[in-house]
Amino acid sequence: MSLIKRNWTAREADEWGKEDLIACVFSVLAYILLTIGVALSLLLFPIGFIILAAGIIATIVMFWVINPKLKVLSADYEKKQKDYLVELEKIVEWEED
Amino acid sequence: MVQFALLDWIWMILFLLLMIGCGALFYRLGKRSESDFFLAGRGLPWWLPASSVYATHTATDTPMWVTGVIYKHGLAGIWYSFFSAWCAVSAFVSTRIFRRSLAYSQAEWQTLRFSGLGAELLRGWVAGWQIFMNMFILGWVGIAMGKVCHYAFGWPNWIGLIVFSSICAFYVTTAGYWGVVMADFQQGVIAFSAILIASIWGIIYAGGPSGIVAKLSELGQSWRLNPFHFTDEFTPAWLITMFIVAIIGGVGMGTSIDWYTEAQRIQSAKTVRDASYSIWSGTALVLMRNAIWAVAILGFFVLYPNIIETKDYELGWFQLSFEALPAGMIGFFFAAILAIHISTISTQLNLGAMYFTRDLYHHYINPKASKEKLIRVGRISTILLLLGSFVYGLMMEDITSWLIFALWIMTAGIWLPNILQVVWWRFNSWGYLAAWIANLSISWLIVWILPELGVIRQLKDFEQFWLLVAIMALIYIPVTYLTPPENMDKLVRYYVMSKPLGWWGPVRKEAEKRGLLQSK
Repeated sequence: MSLIKRNWTAREADEWGKEDLIACVFSVLAYILLTIGVALSLLLFPIGFIILAAGIIATIVMFWVINPKLKVLSADYEKKQKDYLVELEKIVEWEED
Repeated sequence: MVQFALLDWIWMILFLLLMIGCGALFYRLGKRSESDFFLAGRGLPWWLPASSVYATHTATDTPMWVTGVIYKHGLAGIWYSFFSAWCAVSAFVSTRIFRRSLAYSQAEWQTLRFSGLGAELLRGWVAGWQIFMNMFILGWVGIAMGKVCHYAFGWPNWIGLIVFSSICAFYVTTAGYWGVVMADFQQGVIAFSAILIASIWGIIYAGGPSGIVAKLSELGQSWRLNPFHFTDEFTPAWLITMFIVAIIGGVGMGTSIDWYTEAQRIQSAKTVRDASYSIWSGTALVLMRNAIWAVAILGFFVLYPNIIETKDYELGWFQLSFEALPAGMIGFFFAAILAIHISTISTQLNLGAMYFTRDLYHHYINPKASKEKLIRVGRISTILLLLGSFVYGLMMEDITSWLIFALWIMTAGIWLPNILQVVWWRFNSWGYLAAWIANLSISWLIVWILPELGVIRQLKDFEQFWLLVAIMALIYIPVTYLTPPENMDKLVRYYVMSKPLGWWGPVRKEAEKRGLLQSK
């Protein structure tokens, strides 16, 4: 089994898993690196360009890890969404329980 | 005082016409349904809500605030604006859960997640609180525009407050969220370009990157270039608290004041994936914009290093840009300031109107209202919010400290309950209500009354945060266990639809028993 799952069934994508956690970690890293990287690059510090490049790589990894799962999960959910929307008004009505 | 050339006036008038055009252009789409007026029919590709996230969180007061922290703390001040990093986790956790719930607003979500009277009380409370907050933010941002216009043209503050917010209200009233999001796209592009151009121009004006570094060294202020330079005020404990608040907060809903505007963008995205990417990329732009500002403000510092009072340096980025940009570009820059201002105003007007129309009027006052009636109410409430914001804006100088306190209590004591409502099935509406009520009273004691009476010392803000988190838990956890769990039918329906993460074992088991889900 590969470390990062790339092929998902709708049922598998519906569950929370390690890919979500990895995406979150890289997402936080990307934000930190991009913020510092942009500032230090504008000051023309060489370390700034390295940090900025690391931020871009972290963003790409995040996307690479989570996109296949999000794609399948989204497509599956959209099929159900129409019925859910019809039900929404009923569910949120004032209850007398 | 800033002098406008003919080209400057042309830039500004063209921009205003473009914005008003949005109202006319999207008028028909906006009036199709309640969902169109408040969520653009839930059909937007990710880049439209993303540009709206960026544009909305670039307000007239934002460069003033960023200038304040960077001028004071150097590059380390950038972490004060890093709270928006909650979106790093939210984009892949709470955004997904909330998008799947299909709730129009966070207030409506309360009645999907909780049941019975508790849920209704929560919906009414969250909606009312949000309308108050929207009006407050409108007044706050509006008066910041008043100050900028006063600095640039010498106008009295009320002119900047009233004129531009009123122009913005035109397209929000006519086209609803369609107008907001389409205008936000243009405003986002204009604002980002202008911030980039004006900041780089300012950096060059201040001596260029190497000139700024050299001057900081001459002034003995090189520590300002270190993003991790700690002081008595900016401590490692503060930084760790900020990271925890932002990152773990991304799991919850409402842990940041920005959640409520983001929630509208999440629901307007056409798929779960679009919602996730819109929140992530919009916020990434916000953070990179802050970094660009930070360097320009270091440039301002080396030009004007001895300013003591916040009110004297908070307009630093505007001052630098007005000074550095050549004639003809000033109008473009001012158009960008208008873009920055109007994008935030339009969002808050439409969002407040949604809470009033959907959560108060439609839900409690007139559940059988026709779609025409709902859109009419949406428009009237937009105008009422605008008028209310003028009153707030004009009295803002006197009430600022009270309202900052209101913002504070919104995040500190209910930070953990906002997470628990997402991740823990047993947390119920009474526990969440208890947290809100206790927070409203106890935060006064911790922040103001007890230090004033000498009972406790004046705590640092991160100490206040952790103390409030602990005290509140002693209240809402017993309340949760002493009151019954939520109705299982409702929990199962919510679980199947939203698939929250966390401790949902008994609900999952019940859903499997009913054949609604297959076992893992």
